[in-house]
Amino acid sequence: MASLDYAHRRLVNTLGPERVARGELERMVYSHDFAALPKLVLAQWRLYPDFVVLPQTTEEVSTIVKLSDESGLPITPRGSGTGSYGGAVPNRGGVLVDMRKMNKILALDAANRTVTVEAGVPWGHLAEYVASKGMSLGLVPIAAPASTVGGAINSGVVCFGSYRHGSLRGLILDLEVVLPDGSVLHTGSGHDAPGQFGDLTSLFLGAEGTLGVVTRAVLRIDPKAEETRADAYTFRTLEDGVRFLQAIASSDLIPLHVGLVDREHFVLERAFRPATPEPADIALVALQGHKDEVVEQEKELDLLASKAGGVKMAPEAASDLWDRRFTMYGARRLSRGLVVSSNLVPVARLGEAVDAAHRLLRTMKLDGAIQAALLDPTTASFAPYVLMDDTRPSGPATLGFVKKMGDAARGLDGHPMGLGMFMVFNLAKMHGRATGFMGAVKEVFDPTRKINAGKTTEVWTKFTWPIIDTVPPFMMGLGLDLAAFLRRIKPTRDRYARAYRKIGGP
Amino acid sequence: MGLLRDWAFVEAAVRIPALRDVVREALIRAMFTRDDRVLPREIVADLGRTPAVTVKVKDDAEVRKLVEVFSGGESSVNLGLAPEDYHYFRRALSVGKDRDIGVVPRPRVLLTYDWLVPEQRGVELDFSAYAEVDFQKGAHRAVAQVGAAWKDAYDAALAAGHLVPFVPTVPLDFSIGDGVWGDAPYGSYRAEFGEYVNALRSVSAYGHRTRVGFEDVSNEGAGYDLLHAILPVASEFVVPLAVAFRLLPRPSARKTLTYGFDDPAKAAAALDRLGGSFRTPLWVHVVDGAAAGLLRPGTSSEAFTVQLSLSGSAAGLAAREKAFDVLFAGFKTKGTDVPNPFDGPADAYRKTADRVSRSLFVGEVRIPVRALPDFHAKTKALGAQAAAPASLYASLRSTGILSAFPAFEASGERHRTYELSKGVAGISEGIPGSIFVSRIAHLWDDSPGFRRRMALLQKLKMEIDASRVVQPLLRS
Repeated sequence: MASLDYAHRRLVNTLGPERVARGELERMVYSHDFAALPKLVLAQWRLYPDFVVLPQTTEEVSTIVKLSDESGLPITPRGSGTGSYGGAVPNRGGVLVDMRKMNKILALDAANRTVTVEAGVPWGHLAEYVASKGMSLGLVPIAAPASTVGGAINSGVVCFGSYRHGSLRGLILDLEVVLPDGSVLHTGSGHDAPGQFGDLTSLFLGAEGTLGVVTRAVLRIDPKAEETRADAYTFRTLEDGVRFLQAIASSDLIPLHVGLVDREHFVLERAFRPATPEPADIALVALQGHKDEVVEQEKELDLLASKAGGVKMAPEAASDLWDRRFTMYGARRLSRGLVVSSNLVPVARLGEAVDAAHRLLRTMKLDGAIQAALLDPTTASFAPYVLMDDTRPSGPATLGFVKKMGDAARGLDGHPMGLGMFMVFNLAKMHGRATGFMGAVKEVFDPTRKINAGKTTEVWTKFTWPIIDTVPPFMMGLGLDLAAFLRRIKPTRDRYARAYRKIGGP
Repeated sequence: MGLLRDWAFVEAAVRIPALRDVVREALIRAMFTRDDRVLPREIVADLGRTPAVTVKVKDDAEVRKLVEVFSGGESSVNLGLAPEDYHYFRRALSVGKDRDIGVVPRPRVLLTYDWLVPEQRGVELDFSAYAEVDFQKGAHRAVAQVGAAWKDAYDAALAAGHLVPFVPTVPLDFSIGDGVWGDAPYGSYRAEFGEYVNALRSVSAYGHRTRVGFEDVSNEGAGYDLLHAILPVASEFVVPLAVAFRLLPRPSARKTLTYGFDDPAKAAAALDRLGGSFRTPLWVHVVDGAAAGLLRPGTSSEAFTVQLSLSGSAAGLAAREKAFDVLFAGFKTKGTDVPNPFDGPADAYRKTADRVSRSLFVGEVRIPVRALPDFHAKTKALGAQAAAPASLYASLRSTGILSAFPAFEASGERHRTYELSKGVAGISEGIPGSIFVSRIAHLWDDSPGFRRRMALLQKLKMEIDASRVVQPLLRS
C-alpha cells in the first residue's frame, strides 16, 4: 500500500487542493450518518476516512476509483448521509467520495418526459426545478430536502407518492455508474424499455454504493397535476387509524400518499413547536389529479374515515401537516439522539406491527412514536422512532429496538429496511437460500472488494489480519440483542424523559 | 433457449475480430432461418440437439430431484459438502463435469418465436399441470404456479374479490410463467408487469427451494434488487415455480369504453392527451381496423379503435366517462357496450386467442405515442411490400409510451419472420425515441454498452448457476 502522503498528493493533483480534505474536523463530520453511534464502535471500525474528496465530473470519479489500485485505499461513496445503517460511512478509513459537488441538472426533456441529473442533486432542489418547468416528479424520498438522487437510489428508500406512482425503480430510466475498475457503465438502454437489453438498473437500487459509484441518472417526470390536496383525519385510537389505511388499500382510491402518525409524535413535537396540532392519532392523505377526480376521491375518503371513526381536520391543519411532511424527526432535539427503525410490513398485518411496536416501547422503557405509510395496496412502510440519550452510557442500548422491531417485521412476513454496515445480520434472515445470490452480485461487480466493501453482504472490521478481519453477521445481531436486553433491565427511565416530565411533559 | 445462451453462442461464433462485423448478422440470419448450407457443421449440430425428454411437472419436488441429479449432487462423491461448496471447490480445482444436462421450462404460448439454441439433450419442463393460484385472505396478492393460465388467474381473482392488474396487450392464452420466460406482453396503463411481481418461488441450481424477493411486501431496502434485474431472464438463473404478484381490490364498478377514430393522427393526439393527463384507467389498448376485425369478427370498425377500462364507484364512473369524451375529442364513434377481450367467458377468450394467434408477430416496438401514425403507416407499407398485410395491437402506458405489436398476415416461415423483423427494426430506427425489443433485436445489438451489460449478466449467471443446470451456456 502506498503511503497516505503519496495518496494525498495524487488526489490533490487530480482534484486540486480545495476538493481534497484530510483535516480532523472534516474527517469527523464524515464519520457518521443520521444514526447516533456509541464511541465503542470505533474499536471495531475505522469510521474516520483518511481523505474526503469532492469530485465534480464522472471522469474525476473514475480517476479516484482507479487511484485506489495504487493507493490500496478503499472507496466509500456518499450522498448527504441521511441513511442510518452506516452505508455511507467508512469501515476501514480510505477515501470518502462526497458526491454533493456533482449537483447539476443536465437536461430536462419535456416532450419525452425525462430529466437528466448528476447524482449529487438533492431531491428537494430537483423537485423545485422540475416544477418550475411545468412538470413534476412523481416520487420524492422521505428525506427529500437533503437526500441526494444517488443516495436515495443506493438506499432503495421509501418515497412520498409511491401509492400513486409506484416505486423508485419505475422512476429511473438509466444510471451512469463508475464501476470498481474505473470504467463507466450505463445500466439501461437509454430508451423507455425497462428490463430489456440487459437492463441492470434494478441491481443498483438498494446497493448502498457497494457495486459502483452512481454519477448520473435519467429520471422520468410527469406533467404537473391539476390539483394536489391534503386531507387529515384524527382517530380515537391508532387501531382505528390502521383500519382506515386498510380500508383505503381495499378501495378504488389511488391517493398520492397515505400516512399515519400516532399521538406520541405530536406530544414530542409540541415540546419544541407550540404550533403543532393537538396530539392525536392522525392520518394524512394527499390526493392528486384532476379537480373533479380529487373532489370525488375526497368524498369517498371522508366516508371511509367516518366509518373508521375518523374526524376530518381543518384544511389549514391538513395543509400544514403536508407542508411539514419532510420534517418528522424534530424530537431529536429533546434527547440528543434518535433511532428510526424502517420496515416494510403487509398492509393486512399493520395492526399487528403497531401492537409489536407498542410492546417493545413499553418493555424497553422507550419514548418514541409510530409512523406508517402505504406504498401500494399490499405493502406498508412501518417506521417507528425512539429517542436516545446519546450522552449517557446507557444510550446505545436503545439501538436494540431496531433489531427487535426488524425481527417483529420479519415475523409478520415483512422485512426490515437497510443493511449498510450495522444490519447485515438481517440479510440471511430475509433472503434465506437466495442470500448466496446477493454475494454473487458483489463478486461479479467488485471482485477485488474496492468500493464500499465489507457491507451489505458481509461485515468487515477495521483490521486486515485473517480471522479478525470480519465479524460473522449473526454476532452483530447478538450484540444488538444484548443491547435490547440491557435496555429492558435498565431500572430507570431516560434522564431527558424525566426532566421533560418535570416541566409538564407527558 | 434464452437470451444469455443465444448471446454467448453468437459471441463465441464470431470471436474472430477482423470478421466480426461482417459475419455477425449473417450468422444470426443463417441460424434463425436454419440455412444449414452456410453454417459450420458444429453449429448445425448444436442447433439440432433438442431436449431429449419432456417432463410434465406436477410437484416442485420433482423439479428439485431433477436438478439435484443433473447438478451431480446425487451421484458425485461430495465429501458431505453442501452443494454450493461442492461446486465452488469443483470450479476452484478446475474439475469439470463430463457434460451438462440442463432443464428448461416450456412456454405455454409464444407470441413470436423461440430462442435459437435449444437445450442440448436436456429436459424440458412442461408446467401445464402445475397451475394452481392461491389468493391470500385479507390481502391483495396472489401466488400463481407458473403453469396457471393468465385468463384462469384473472377470472379466479375476480371471483375472490380481487383484480389482476396486468393484461396481455395481445390476447393470447398465455400462462403466468410466460411472463417470466416467454414473451407474454403483460402490462397495465400504470405499470409494467415487473412492477406487480413481488417474488419468485424457484428451485436454485443446487436443487434448493429458493425465494427471490418477498411474497407479501415489496423489496425496497433489502439489498440488491435481484428479482427485477433477472426477471426477464429469470429462467436462466433459477427454475421459476410460482410468481407472487400484487393484485388490486376488485373495483365496485368497471366500465369499458370504446372509441373509434377514422384517422390515426386523431387517435394519437387523443392518446397523447391521455398520457399527459392524470386520468388512471386500468388499461388502454389500441388496435387498427384489421386487428379489430380479428378481435371482434363481424363488427365494423374504424381505422383505429381505442378501448379502455375504467374502475371506481358507479357515480364516479359517469363523471369520468365524460372527462374521457373530452380527452378523446375527435373520435368518430363511441361504444359503451363493446365487450373487451378479457372479461368474457374463458371459451370466448380462447377462441379470440386462436384467431389472433394465426397472425405473424415479430415482437414489441416501444414508441412515443405521438409517433403512432408514422409507425402505423410505415408498418402498413412494409406489409404491402412483403405481400403480408399488416395490423397493429398496442397498449398505452401512463408515461406516454406505446407498446406496439405489429402483426402480419403471413405464414410463420422463418425467412418471412426474419425479413419482416428487419423491416420493423428499420422502421423503429427511423422514429426518434423508439426501440424494437424483439428477441432477435437483442441478438443484433452489438453496441458496447449492451455488450458490457450482457457480460456482467453472464458472469452473474455463472456465479448463481455454478452447477450448470439451469439452461447452461454451451461450452465453446
